Amino acid sequence: MNFNAIETSSLSKVYSSAFGRRKIEALTNLNLIVKPGTIFGFLGPNGAGKTTFVKLLLGITFPTSGGAKILGEDISEYKMKSKIGYLPENHKYPAYLKGSEVLDFYGKLSGMEGINLQKKIDELLDLVKLTQWKKTKVKAYSKGMMQRLGLAQALLNEPELIFLDEPTDGVDPIGRKEIRDILLELKSRSKTIFLNSHLLSEVEQITDRVGILNKGKLIREGTVKELTQKREEYKLSLEGAAVDDINKNPDNDLHLTNIGDGYFNLKVSDSNELNKVLDMLRSKGIMIKEMVQQKDSLEDIFISLINESEKGAMK
Amino acid sequence: MKNMLTITWYSLREAMARKVFISFFIISLLTIILVALILNMAGFVKVFTSGTQNNFTEAFTTMEMMFISPITLIGILMSIFSSASFIPIMLEKGNIDLLLSKPISREQLLVGKYLGGVLVVFINIALLIIGVWLTFSIKFSVWNFGFLLTIFTITFTFSILYSIIVLLGIATKSSAPGMMIAYLIFLIVSPVLYSAKYKLGVFIQSSLIKGIVDFVYYLFPKTSELMGKTTYDLATGSGITNYQPILTSFGFLILTLGIAVVIFRKKDF
Repeated sequence: MNFNAIETSSLSKVYSSAFGRRKIEALTNLNLIVKPGTIFGFLGPNGAGKTTFVKLLLGITFPTSGGAKILGEDISEYKMKSKIGYLPENHKYPAYLKGSEVLDFYGKLSGMEGINLQKKIDELLDLVKLTQWKKTKVKAYSKGMMQRLGLAQALLNEPELIFLDEPTDGVDPIGRKEIRDILLELKSRSKTIFLNSHLLSEVEQITDRVGILNKGKLIREGTVKELTQKREEYKLSLEGAAVDDINKNPDNDLHLTNIGDGYFNLKVSDSNELNKVLDMLRSKGIMIKEMVQQKDSLEDIFISLINESEKGAMK
Repeated sequence: MKNMLTITWYSLREAMARKVFISFFIISLLTIILVALILNMAGFVKVFTSGTQNNFTEAFTTMEMMFISPITLIGILMSIFSSASFIPIMLEKGNIDLLLSKPISREQLLVGKYLGGVLVVFINIALLIIGVWLTFSIKFSVWNFGFLLTIFTITFTFSILYSIIVLLGIATKSSAPGMMIAYLIFLIVSPVLYSAKYKLGVFIQSSLIKGIVDFVYYLFPKTSELMGKTTYDLATGSGITNYQPILTSFGFLILTLGIAVVIFRKKDF
């Protein structure tokens, strides 16, 4: 593939109330590129514009300005949707259909038919562990089962790009792990996955890149590694007679703070300072049992970015 | 095209699931049984077999229409009621998102859904009319095939009213406004305009009022004429004597459906 899976340029959406008296900027000048074969996590608080973004890309809602391409084709071209899978948040299936019939319906709408479709339905029901429920009407399905059926529906047409809006919502921990495994397997088959989720730890585990959206604006984008940068801060476990002395007479040159259970926090400005401190500790006969460099979790970064963004907006 | 047919087919499934078919079928069956019982009543047949051959044919068709008219009227009212929610249900959050994420154009989606609703009514009306026709034909050994053509005029009348339901369903995401307007046109506007044009027209002196009546008459669909004179002419084998109600009503249908498509194409969900 020599084109991006998703490419947007100044994509904006303004919702107007009746007679245009009130306007809500759901998305503002969003520029984003998602490379093929990657898992992209889209994060943001409720109402940030995540779902609007996906709806714009899928032609469910129309942009006020700007444009976007999916798999190299303009989003106004509906036929390109044959290469796309989508699991919306709060999806609703016709209650009178059985699990396998739901997949048959959406499979046919995706252009599939005959034995190929039936084989694919059986394969996917097996993948999401719903084979024994395939003859049951979906109105009897639990929330978790509906999510798994939704995932199967999104994968029916062997899509190149899959949009998943809160895919693990209502799914138990084992089911979540299974869904994560499915997504990683899809990625290994060069599929691109665009994941909208509130579950930051989950996003952190499987995504290659992450975008953080707040009030319709993309406030940060990068790899998980880039966002969760390591700090010049270390957690140390120390042992030796001199450790008590450090506790009693804190030495400013050591930059150590006791955080309990034999652990100390060490803040330095660079590696040279780190080595100096380690040399000083050894010279005092202290044994360094453990040393872990501290880094921000995606959740820490997310909260701090959202707070910064809110403060910026207040000013 | 295949996608559109899938939508149409699944509209039939939806109608079946919502007991539209079974309700209609039971009513049709009861009607046919009732017709058969009345026809077997002593003396009833004699009235219709006592005249000349010409009188008999006319009386026969009149009798068929006498049975079918109130039933199809109820059929149309029931059809409006049962199909009015098809579009609002399609537009529900979570449902429309999925449909629009598939490689089907909005035009195909809407037209497919519209055809599904019309097909549901066509099948039901066909079952009813064929049942009544068979009962009469077997009883009297007169096979008036023209009577079967009424299936099309009645379905056509419904399809016009359904286009209003679709338009208002798209615009408001609710079934109530469409139902109310469809009932209003079918039960009041169309019969009143027909009377104003052809019965009261001679009493109207002002050319301005006459012009307004004409304009409104031609603007609205002529459901009362389609269900009345056009259907009767076809049933009696006279053929269509006046194409104006059909053509202007068809124009209304196309316009209404066209506006619905234009709105649907631009609507955010």
